[in-house]
Amino acid sequence: MNAEAPALSPQGLRLSLLGLMLTAALNAQHTAWWCLPVLAAACAWHLRLISYAGSATRAAAASPGKAARVALALLLTLGVLLSFRTLNGLEAGATLLTAMTAAKLFEARSARDWYVVLGAALFLLLAACLDRQQLWRFPLYALALWILAAALRGLNGGQAQSAQGLLGGAGRQLLLALPLGVLLFLFFPRLPGAFWALPSGEEAVSGLGDDMSPGDIARLVESDEPALRARFSGAVPAVPERYWRGPVLHDFDGHTWRRRHAPLGPLNPLHYAGEAYSYVVTVEPNSHGTIVALEMAVPPDQTVARFTDDYQLLAPSPLRQAQSYSLISYAQFQADAPLTPLARHVDLQLPKGRNPRTATLAARLRAAAPDDAGFVQEALNYLRDGGFVYTLTPQRLGRDSVDDLLFDTREGFCAHYASAFATLMRAGAVPARVVTGYLGGEWNRIGGYLLVRQSDAHAWTEVWLAGRGWVRTDPTAVVAPERITRGAELLSAGLRSEGARLLHVPWLADALLAWDALNAWWQDDIVGFNFSRQLDFAHWFGFSDRNGYRLAVGLGCGLVAWMLWLSWTLRSAPRAPRPDDLSRAWRRLEARLARAGAPRLPHEGILAYAQRLSRTHPHLADAVTPLARRFARLRYGPPSSPRRVRVFVRQARGARAARAARAARARF
Amino acid sequence: MRHAQPPVQRVRPPLRLWLTERVATWARRRQGEEVTPLVLQARRLYILPTRAGLGFALLLLVMLIAGLNYSNSLALLLTFMLTGFVLVGMYECQRTLQGLALTQVRVLDCCAGDLGWIELHLSNPGPVVRRALSAGAPGAAPALFEIAAGGTAIVRMNYPALRRGRVQIDRLELATTTPFGLFRAWTWVYLPLIATVYPRPAGRRPLPINGSRPPPRASALPGADEEQWSSLRPYQPGDSPRRIAWKIYARGGPPMVGLYEGTGGGEHWLSFVGLEALDLEVRLSQLCAWALECARRGAACSLRLPGCELPLGRSSGHRTALLRALAGYGEAPVGAEPSA
Repeated sequence: MNAEAPALSPQGLRLSLLGLMLTAALNAQHTAWWCLPVLAAACAWHLRLISYAGSATRAAAASPGKAARVALALLLTLGVLLSFRTLNGLEAGATLLTAMTAAKLFEARSARDWYVVLGAALFLLLAACLDRQQLWRFPLYALALWILAAALRGLNGGQAQSAQGLLGGAGRQLLLALPLGVLLFLFFPRLPGAFWALPSGEEAVSGLGDDMSPGDIARLVESDEPALRARFSGAVPAVPERYWRGPVLHDFDGHTWRRRHAPLGPLNPLHYAGEAYSYVVTVEPNSHGTIVALEMAVPPDQTVARFTDDYQLLAPSPLRQAQSYSLISYAQFQADAPLTPLARHVDLQLPKGRNPRTATLAARLRAAAPDDAGFVQEALNYLRDGGFVYTLTPQRLGRDSVDDLLFDTREGFCAHYASAFATLMRAGAVPARVVTGYLGGEWNRIGGYLLVRQSDAHAWTEVWLAGRGWVRTDPTAVVAPERITRGAELLSAGLRSEGARLLHVPWLADALLAWDALNAWWQDDIVGFNFSRQLDFAHWFGFSDRNGYRLAVGLGCGLVAWMLWLSWTLRSAPRAPRPDDLSRAWRRLEARLARAGAPRLPHEGILAYAQRLSRTHPHLADAVTPLARRFARLRYGPPSSPRRVRVFVRQARGARAARAARAARARF
Repeated sequence: MRHAQPPVQRVRPPLRLWLTERVATWARRRQGEEVTPLVLQARRLYILPTRAGLGFALLLLVMLIAGLNYSNSLALLLTFMLTGFVLVGMYECQRTLQGLALTQVRVLDCCAGDLGWIELHLSNPGPVVRRALSAGAPGAAPALFEIAAGGTAIVRMNYPALRRGRVQIDRLELATTTPFGLFRAWTWVYLPLIATVYPRPAGRRPLPINGSRPPPRASALPGADEEQWSSLRPYQPGDSPRRIAWKIYARGGPPMVGLYEGTGGGEHWLSFVGLEALDLEVRLSQLCAWALECARRGAACSLRLPGCELPLGRSSGHRTALLRALAGYGEAPVGAEPSA
């Protein structure tokens, strides 16, 4: 590369900077706030260099010295360390990459520098892909790829091309690459799990957590984000039965319910009964690692998920991306075996010295009931008839939160009532625990699946009844029965999304449904295309051996087909321009002469040919010579009228008869 | 007549140079002797990733590992699309050379120590523009060019003239880094190219004066008077701007250089007489300098060397014959024309 000439034309340079800014912006959600302005400043500085086009010395003089560049790099690294306390991890890595690319821009001049910058931009694009996979981002990712590809084409070492030329060439190249991309996407062997995990910072994933304070669920109810989607292969559960079990909480400190991560004993075998639901659930990323499943799931294979003793489905790795699971759930379930002493002990614990009035109430209700089941019913009756109100904006509760709720404020929502009911049960010596999850789900008729949103978040209790095992008891159902059926009511209206519901615009509601269906397809089939889905796909494709051998054969065949297709598409064989009438007429004539044994020699001009014919084949010359002269005049002379061309074509054709007749005569 | 300073040739590591030479020798055996017109076919095209291409492959590998590790479909799709993009680029790179037609090659004479010029006549019969092409000979910086779809181009490239004589130009290299410099496709063309390299004009001895007429005064030296030029030839880098036919150029014509065939010069008989003490090459250099000096003055000169005599003359053809005689002095006569 000549040191004098800039490696990248101004057009290529603008494209590079544009692509770089776009990829950096696509990472803005997880990088430090300051790195984007730094990069923008570096880009602006570089754009100024374009005005020095052709003057490398001026450009060099305007560039900061080596010491300044090293200082800048150190400063930016320090900034990343201050922002994240580490250089490891996706967020810190993406920030560092953005900052270092900005520093590189101050010295980018040679082709090598620009390859480094564009490589960094492509890596930033990868970081964005690793971080977020929403459907709406996909066109932006594709756009960034297109622009960066065009910028790469600007580095071909040849003459400068226009931005349109670069973008057009890159677009064509990407379209040609698309079949291979899809082929590799489908057939390239995936791995069942991660072989190396970057420490990832605690991401703020909306949804349920490892604990439950009353405020958490109220916040969730405002969120329209999807929590899970379920595609049923048979019956769909009725609206009041759509309880989706998530994290189970055992420990209560008076304010917050928490999970226990250690098992409380062996898994109590369950007997399932009632309707069986077979479905594929796609769980959005969450922080609690629980596969939220319809109550009550049959334990799947150990490699898929672990079924805990409190009936949670734990994913083997954190759910950082949407994952799909094929599950079976039954409407009814029952456990015969007795509760272990440890579990009984844990699920009867109450914070010491708190909620004295609740304890008194529990004792009173307990005395009135013949057995545990009767006590549960008494407590539910108390909640039903006590004038309790369901509201998402209750008053604040004090230190004795359950006392305050049951005797003073008498208003709250599911989390309050679940907490209060579980406390009441434990005070009455009935083991109880709080289950968080979702209640409801909207039927998407376009996608044919049940969509459960974060706003469907719910909390209820399970109580231990001897002989029946854990029994779901939802205090909210008695306080506010409409909460349970609300889903149905909204479903019949077909208007779920807030905006559409307010506006009563049917087509908008349809569009929102379609958009969610598209998102579901995206999550299920594209983002969620993993190791097991690939095996399913191969199976569907007819490769049933499952050892990957036929998958490799499929991949190889596809590769060869793509290469052949590419060779055909890119063939550089000259497409000779279609000869016009004049040339065609002459060629026909020549072909006939060749058949008669007087072909034109490759080096011969037309007039020379005619001259030679008049010597060697005098009987042909009479017809050919005037035609050759006329052809030469029409072809190479000044432009003539189409009529003359038509006359020539007719004459050339007519000459056949005359010549053929003569040739025939000559033969006899 | 001095050419511009030769462009700095990048120094290659010896191992790579050695390897290139070995492969080139193998390719010569494989391809055999060649003649123009020549259409570049696939079997003679070679392609390798460049250094940037290897770096890019590493980048793709890291991206693949990251995508597989996190089972991230989008990251994998990005990686696979980029892989396809690069592979399509590889095809495009090769297709940029394939089908290119080399119709004619002309080697122009030059003086030893200079960079000589080779004229390539190329045509692109394909429907797509061919970009970022380069043509070069070993030891000289390549010339960059591009050819429009269905177009033709006359490309002037350098060859190094290291020694006087009839020099065989081993091979020409046509290469491209289209579309993004990650791959380099090239072909070696082994044509029987003989360059006639004149001796390096050197020596400060005065012109021997053997003619009857006195040498011309300085004021009578040919200047930029275009009326006095006897013939024109195409401009070559290094020609004096005073001799460019600006009137023709202003009319949109090609840059031409006027050749002066003056009548004012004397007659000079050039021979080894008086130079016996010098080395042969130094003698030839002195003769070459004299011959060029005569041409500059418009003087007639003759040449008398052992086994070679040229009568007096002052035409440009005569001068060329004289210089060629100097170039070929002492070498076995070559039957082939020096241009192919």
